[in-house]
Amino acid sequence: MGQCWRPSSWSVPRRHSPLPPALVVLVAAVLAPAAAWAHADLHPGGGLVAGFLHPITGLDHVVAMVAVGLWGAVLGPPALWLLPLAFPPVMALGGLLALLGVPLPGVEVGIALSGLVMGLMVLFELRPPLWLAALLVASFAVFHGHAHGAELPAGAHPLLYSLAFVIATGLLHLVGILLGEARRWPGGRALVRLAGAGVALVGLWFLERALA
Amino acid sequence: MSGPGTAAALWSALGSLPLAHLVPTGLGPWGDGMARLMLQPLDLLLLVALVLLAVQNGRSWSDRLALVLPLSWLVGGLGGLLVGRELHLALLCAALVTAVGVLAALEPALRLGKRFLRGGTAALSLLFGLVAGSSLAGHGGALQALLGEAVAIAVVTALLLMALDPPHPRWLALGLRLIGSWIAASGLLMLGWLSRQPL
Repeated sequence: MGQCWRPSSWSVPRRHSPLPPALVVLVAAVLAPAAAWAHADLHPGGGLVAGFLHPITGLDHVVAMVAVGLWGAVLGPPALWLLPLAFPPVMALGGLLALLGVPLPGVEVGIALSGLVMGLMVLFELRPPLWLAALLVASFAVFHGHAHGAELPAGAHPLLYSLAFVIATGLLHLVGILLGEARRWPGGRALVRLAGAGVALVGLWFLERALA
Repeated sequence: MSGPGTAAALWSALGSLPLAHLVPTGLGPWGDGMARLMLQPLDLLLLVALVLLAVQNGRSWSDRLALVLPLSWLVGGLGGLLVGRELHLALLCAALVTAVGVLAALEPALRLGKRFLRGGTAALSLLFGLVAGSSLAGHGGALQALLGEAVAIAVVTALLLMALDPPHPRWLALGLRLIGSWIAASGLLMLGWLSRQPL
């Protein structure tokens, strides 16, 4: 009484055997696909994920898209929503031109200028007439779209790629708008101007590289 | 074997044949047809764009859309089955989706009439249904797949209409226009793709 039952083998010291061959094979099999990823293309052609990643992996594009939202916030309504509304179709128009093989000179310079100009607009809180702001942003959108259109890979799901690509661009605008909304709080205005300065600097850096 | 028994056996056999333009879901032609809508982004985009246009134009039209859209699609699909060969209208379809996206982005300013919306919706649904039906023509289980797709269209439309029931707060009204602009942009890029690599 009072003694717990336990299997007799518990009292025998266990022999430390090497890993069973089956387990070794299993571990190797589990690890093997991970090794294969080393040579995988990070941006496989034509897919939702590839399309989404495409615009957010290029710094020049990212800062310009955020700057569209930032500038919209500085300009206030209706530019706040009009610029992000107009940008994707005009950008896609640039992409369409590239896909049709229509050349556009100075694409890289145009993209770099977009960051520089819009960054300066935000930094100095410049408020041109709406038509001029829309014209500027639309012109830059064509350059961005053309560059992306020329880089679009041939894939199995072109529409999914395009849709994800456009959504990612729109979300970058949204990030800019949300950042710009910081102007409502004390110190937020300086923060937004600082962000504009950062965008302009990145634009300047890309412009120097494009002209070099 | 009796007549009805033979017909049932034939129907069952036809239904089990694979459909070249459907991804097998394991749920039979009905399920494959339902899944087709989700796997055909262009069709889905058209549906979303038409819903956007409808909800921007008040409740009276959007309430009828859940009926008009799947029925027109089904009628067009039946016509497509009768065509007997696949219609290659991807370029036209992409252009139309782009146009509807542009209209959805601009709608409050354009003030499209209800008659235009009704006619346009019915015509587009007929056309897209026709293309869908023609891609299924000649395959076993095509009719079930087409019916499954029409049911999926009805369900998705109803869900979207429920979620986007007008009137809209200002932020949502702007969001609807923004989605319209994204659809237009995607359609434009699709046009470029198709011109480079015709399907």
